[in-house]
Amino acid sequence: MSGLPRGACPGSPNPDDLNRARFRAGIRFGIGVAAVVVALAPPVARILASWRLRSAVEGMSMRPTLEPGDWLLVDPGAYASRPPRVADLVAVPDPGEPSRWLVKRVVDVDADGRLELRGDNPAESTDSRTFGTVDAATVIGRPWARYWPVRRVGRVR
Amino acid sequence: MLRERIAAVARPRHTVHAHCDIPCGIYDPHGAEIGARTVARMVELINQNLGDDPNQRNQFIRCVAVKEQHAEIVKHEVRVIWGDYFKPEHVEKYPQLHDLVWRIMKQAGKCRQTVDAQAAAELQALVKQFADIFWETKGGRPQA
Repeated sequence: MSGLPRGACPGSPNPDDLNRARFRAGIRFGIGVAAVVVALAPPVARILASWRLRSAVEGMSMRPTLEPGDWLLVDPGAYASRPPRVADLVAVPDPGEPSRWLVKRVVDVDADGRLELRGDNPAESTDSRTFGTVDAATVIGRPWARYWPVRRVGRVR
Repeated sequence: MLRERIAAVARPRHTVHAHCDIPCGIYDPHGAEIGARTVARMVELINQNLGDDPNQRNQFIRCVAVKEQHAEIVKHEVRVIWGDYFKPEHVEKYPQLHDLVWRIMKQAGKCRQTVDAQAAAELQALVKQFADIFWETKGGRPQA
């Protein structure tokens, strides 16, 4: 940057060293960017996948956790790495009417891996007490975040 | 405009039902309360000692018949709400519920057997207790 001829100023860095230093800085920057990309890829992929299953809550059976009118992100891959456990939220097809989806909480997992589901508001819920346990393999995904209403945006569990 | 565009994009594509199959809204203890009030009113009329001409005797018998019917209506209405609406969680919260229903059944029977104003008043009071529990589970009695 100085524009001075080589060696004009004793003690100034050798331009070759300078280029090398810049090159290393470039590499470090590239590695940093790659690390950030790698670190962010799974959550971004998760949000994108969940966005495709964005769902509106209807009904009172999950109050106060979920209110009717809440808009949720439902992660279809959440239970790929591990099956649903007790206390997890699940979106499942209604065993009596599979085209419609239910949201309930797992309150028990039996020896065969079937899920006992319950509403958080059991007094106003139709759940495993009526339709029995459901096969964990039928689970559509895990509701994990609320993106509407604005005041209640955040994780749900 | 922009808001609508954003809303259109963000709107959920699916519905997840946090549902309750029983349409809880259809239950109402009002019928039982009216029944109990009707029983009390019939007891009152019967005890007015209407007189002996055929019209009055007819009226008297009609009052007795209506009292019989409405005591049964009370039992029916209470039984439906008790059996179909109330869930185990409600009974946990109101452990007196089963006994209360049983006492209403007994009291309605007593109102059929007698023309006791006190018994009719007691039936009304029991049905009111039942209705109060019902409305508490619904988060409050609607303003009439």
